[in-house]
Amino acid sequence: MVIVGSGAAGSVLAARLAQGGKRVVVLEAGPERHLTDLYSSQIWSRRLKWPVPQGETGGADPISMNFASGWGTGGSALHHYAGWFRLHPEDFELRTRFKRGLDWPISYDELRPYYDEIQREVGISGDAAAEVWRPPGDPYPMPPLPVFKQASLLAEGFKRLGLRTAPQPMAINSVAYGGRLPCVNDGWCDAGCPFGALANPLATHLPQAVRAGATLRHNAFVMRVLVNEKEDRVTGVEYCDVKGQRRVQEADVVVLAAYAIQTPRILLDSATSRHPAGIANSSGLLGRYVMTHTAANVFGLFEEETDNYLGRTGGQLLSQDTYAKDPRKGYVGSSQWLIGNALKPTDLLGIANSRPELFGRALQRFMEAASIHLATMTFVGESLPHPDNRLVLAGKKDRFGASLVRITHDFGADGVKCYEAGMKQGLEVFREAGAHETWAGPRVRMHMMGGAIMGADPKASVTNGYGQAHDLPNLFIAGSSLFPTSGGVNPTFTLYALAQRTAKYLLQNWRHLA
Amino acid sequence: MDSQVITRRDLLVRMVASFGAITITGPDGPISPAEARARGLELRHLTAVEGRTLEALCDVLVPGAAAAGVVHFVDDQLGRDNPMLLLKYMDWPGSYVEFYRAGLQSLNQESIARFGQPFPKAAADRKDTLVRDISEKSPAGWGSPSAPLFYFVTRSDAVDVYYGTPEGFERLQVPSMAHRLPPERW
Repeated sequence: MVIVGSGAAGSVLAARLAQGGKRVVVLEAGPERHLTDLYSSQIWSRRLKWPVPQGETGGADPISMNFASGWGTGGSALHHYAGWFRLHPEDFELRTRFKRGLDWPISYDELRPYYDEIQREVGISGDAAAEVWRPPGDPYPMPPLPVFKQASLLAEGFKRLGLRTAPQPMAINSVAYGGRLPCVNDGWCDAGCPFGALANPLATHLPQAVRAGATLRHNAFVMRVLVNEKEDRVTGVEYCDVKGQRRVQEADVVVLAAYAIQTPRILLDSATSRHPAGIANSSGLLGRYVMTHTAANVFGLFEEETDNYLGRTGGQLLSQDTYAKDPRKGYVGSSQWLIGNALKPTDLLGIANSRPELFGRALQRFMEAASIHLATMTFVGESLPHPDNRLVLAGKKDRFGASLVRITHDFGADGVKCYEAGMKQGLEVFREAGAHETWAGPRVRMHMMGGAIMGADPKASVTNGYGQAHDLPNLFIAGSSLFPTSGGVNPTFTLYALAQRTAKYLLQNWRHLA
Repeated sequence: MDSQVITRRDLLVRMVASFGAITITGPDGPISPAEARARGLELRHLTAVEGRTLEALCDVLVPGAAAAGVVHFVDDQLGRDNPMLLLKYMDWPGSYVEFYRAGLQSLNQESIARFGQPFPKAAADRKDTLVRDISEKSPAGWGSPSAPLFYFVTRSDAVDVYYGTPEGFERLQVPSMAHRLPPERW
């Protein structure tokens, strides 16, 4: 089989299928990377992101493409922050319970065993009992990570408003686990963790896959999926190698795990005369229901030193007191707070860009104060699925000859109201915590989901609940592009659980598929 | 739940003195952008006029960024297949060189229209006023990229070179907590 993409989903599938005795080739678009390539530098970390424009982004709320897209071994998961949260049962039944958006073809109860399996294998640090909002699941295998002054200050603000916080569950070792070292809380998570304390694919599933015999091929940029003459089965993929030479990798089963931009792009670029709108697209929904979380940081300056350089990029504490969807709020949407993100001076989410309007001496004075006294927390809000939020081919080609894409995205009224409610609450938290100056950052787009959604109805979705294309039984999709709803939590844990479930399905049904 | 008591001073002491710096490829091997500027190395992608304009702008945005070599850093990165400029996060669909070229040209044209002088030669208070204005919206006749985007990107470049280096962490008295140093060559 061939797996396109060596990130979170692709690495789990590669490990499981290779361990199950299958011949696995993983094609990674970017270069080979090792843990030793991960440096403590925000500037350097930009090498881990997609190197060239993937297309055009527009609409009322343009999605950020390159910031989130990984390039090289481990894909996006190499620079992910490892906040691992479960979707809630209501996220799987949005349409049924709230008459909005879509339902998943599976329930939380069906996915729960896979959350638990991945959690045991990879390891999550946290305190399940303290997460009073947490759906049913096994307790975490590691104790929580330490909490530093920044998060402690903010926790007091939550408490004064009658809101609860808990240690943030993270796929980062608080103690040695799974042969990996514990975290040193240096706040360089987003530059890539070279210790392996943070569960990125280089530290977890890719070594397993390679040990089990999988082949990992780099600089292999997949152009399209190939189909047989009857166009009812896939036969492999065509890709460009590092020299720009076109090559074919034949396979009995193809898995696309190339993130929510390239996965639909590859399928749309695989159009044939019989399927001019792309393969696996009989529903006409390929590229539709693109989603991203509404997100923003709230900031505050304290008299106290906040030690904001300590901890983890993703934060230290969690609050999901606003998670439950309730139309009486005036919108449908879930949200959470990631509290006490470790800060560095530079980069998109760094201290300097918390006040982008400052320059000159004013910026210098701010930097000197903020590096010692600034605190922050991140809002993650749900965005409801809408078919007009869409990825299409832009009609232009990149350097390999693959299509560039055009994405149009709008949060819609519910997403905007969810964000506005969050900002109001966030500023109150900071004031209650004692900040003498508070402000909210701009509304931004965080994570990318949808575009090749799963569903029970072949006319209303691209794949079934296992990620198997409705139209082509030996074509599978893995990753966040499958999500029919976004929920209000970071997607990585869920896409790992889905990939684990798909791997089991593939192994159990191999003789019918291959 | 503060389980670790570590003072800033402890961490500053632990900062690695040899923490890797930004370097660019000079004729004799890797050198810092500041050294490249001090030695007057020729730019490879921006013209001399563009370099002077970018330097003047970045020094308004972050005083000291010029001496830190921001122009040589940007110019060097513009030649890379996988550049480390913040511009790549902006999903800018066109040429990165043209992004800078067009933005700098618009800046000079606006400065000449307002003050009768190109931006590098304008008085300090006039530079501040113009930068404040372009941070908020594009002046009439300003081309693409938009003025606020150009401001945001060049400000980030200046911040990168001034604060994103070992010297930058030291300036802020912030423990870098660096656990793995960048290689000598960027």
